Amino acid sequence: MTLPSLSLADFFPLLPAILMVVGACILLLSEVFLSATSSRAYQAVLTVVTSVAAGAVAVAMMFEPPREVMLGFGVLDPFSSFLTFVVSVCVGLAALSSVGFLRNRGAERGEFYALMLFASAGMSLLAMSNELITLFVNIEVLSIATYALTAYLRRGTRPSEAGFKYFILGAFSSAVLLYGAALLYGATGTTNLSAMVGPLGGAMQAQPALVYTGVVLVGAGFAFKIAAVPFHMWTPDVYEGAPSPVSALMSAGVKAAAFAAMVRVFFTLGQGIDPRLPLALFSALAFLTMVGGNLLAIPQRNVKRMLAYSSIAHAGYLLLGVAALFVTAPGEQFRLLGPSELTGGSPLDLARAGALRGILYYLLAYTFSAVGAFAMVSALERREDEEKGTAWDLERFSGLAQRRPGWAFAMAAFMLSLGGIPPTIGFMSKLLIFQSAVDAGLIGLTIVAVLSSAAGVYYYLRVVVYMFMRPVPEGAQVLERNWGTELALVVSTAAVVVLGIIPGPITAWLEQAGTLFGR
Amino acid sequence: MAAEVAARESPNRPMVPITYYLLLAAALFCMGMFGVLVRRNALVVFMCVELMLNAANLTFLAFARMRGDAVGHVSAFFVIAVAAAEAAIGLAIVIAVFRSRGSVLVEDIRTMKH
Repeated sequence: MTLPSLSLADFFPLLPAILMVVGACILLLSEVFLSATSSRAYQAVLTVVTSVAAGAVAVAMMFEPPREVMLGFGVLDPFSSFLTFVVSVCVGLAALSSVGFLRNRGAERGEFYALMLFASAGMSLLAMSNELITLFVNIEVLSIATYALTAYLRRGTRPSEAGFKYFILGAFSSAVLLYGAALLYGATGTTNLSAMVGPLGGAMQAQPALVYTGVVLVGAGFAFKIAAVPFHMWTPDVYEGAPSPVSALMSAGVKAAAFAAMVRVFFTLGQGIDPRLPLALFSALAFLTMVGGNLLAIPQRNVKRMLAYSSIAHAGYLLLGVAALFVTAPGEQFRLLGPSELTGGSPLDLARAGALRGILYYLLAYTFSAVGAFAMVSALERREDEEKGTAWDLERFSGLAQRRPGWAFAMAAFMLSLGGIPPTIGFMSKLLIFQSAVDAGLIGLTIVAVLSSAAGVYYYLRVVVYMFMRPVPEGAQVLERNWGTELALVVSTAAVVVLGIIPGPITAWLEQAGTLFGR
Repeated sequence: MAAEVAARESPNRPMVPITYYLLLAAALFCMGMFGVLVRRNALVVFMCVELMLNAANLTFLAFARMRGDAVGHVSAFFVIAVAAAEAAIGLAIVIAVFRSRGSVLVEDIRTMKH
């Protein structure tokens, strides 16, 4: 029995996740020494500092050469580093918006922030996973932390109900994914994604049923995680019942990490199986998710629930990008995009490289817009109304422009961005995805995407109309200001507007981030 | 010890074919999936999820045995550890549900409208 020898430098690629775990442990341990009345303001600050540090390390890692790390169980490539950056942004903003939320409910505890950091460490590692069991363990690390966060508030029936639904469907989907992974292991004899590419072709000849069942089960497991229609039933209830900052973390961070893992797994599988299978799978899911998410969001008067359905719709646009990744010319063998294809391959290669960049840009754009919108929701809701279910009604937004013009402006920016209206980051990211889908030849599906996103503008603009054109209702609640929420709003609004006008810095960066390990 | 192992592994000894294990695992997986969808008690639903995880474990082990490969065995250990963590959080959530409404029947857990 020989133990692998790892030097300290071998752990460097895990640094963002290590920072997050260390931050979480400090939060957990320091909580022990506090009494019930001690000030806990440092906890959010520590979480934000940790996520900023992790994000900065991730940015530095974008320029590392892509390679296998940790004995091939993970990979360090610009793709995973970019996802770590997105996750850090998401957890930092969500932590800022939790300050006021938790204080209003008398629920400020170190565990909350520690669980957020554990979840984000899982997300960061999930984006790096290159082995099916590592992938499963990281999915569980992030899921278990988010189950606990969902049911974190002990008062009332909603949080435990949301936690229960999320737990059952999350555990169910993990089990489906794991069974699919077991079948793929049986077919190929390895769980390592890089090593799987070789035997997959032979396994397709010998046991096609085994491989196809495995692929479909893994796909279904991921479809649950990203809340694609028809695997979305849990989403609205969970997002509504969870604390708003946690809904933000789930809708942006969990989704981003799951998309990253899904893209990586199917890039591997696509080289062994017929790429038309993932293309058909993702096209069907994209169609159902875009149309279903938008249609279900239209009748919602509950803004938090509307954001949940909108998050489903956005998963649909992302799936359109994922489908575009698997378009191949007739008779062409599917292969990964190397540095040469990223900059100057055939038109189809360029379209697929564009789709990959579009997905990454979209994840960043969605993170800023959705986390900001959920921060706004958490600033307006009041604990007393939660059981009645009116805490998130559209009426809350009536006349907001007269009472807090800054908040109304920020929320308008998030809504326009989610609706894909220029000059916001949401418009730029939709443009990138739709353009590359057209270049890849998915014209019918892109038309559906454009039409359904036009339908989506209706329910986003309705919020704006309520804020700017409705009078302030009689006896409206006092709007409490909180430094955390306001800082989160300022940062996300600035990102949404500035990156919508000048996308240059990020797109130049994405030239790099489209590089996946494995060519 | 080595002789014992050799005797156990000897080809003369009748062995249960791997396919049987795979079929058993597939049956367990389907039962678990069916149970999650139709059972009313939250605890039984939770047990069905565990059944699905263990079906995956059995599949890993059967394939590992077939190939004489250690990866499948190790995978099963990881899955068992993860399932234990999941059980801890799952039971805590079921207790929270029971405390807030005095019932763990799935049809009672629906305050939120669609």
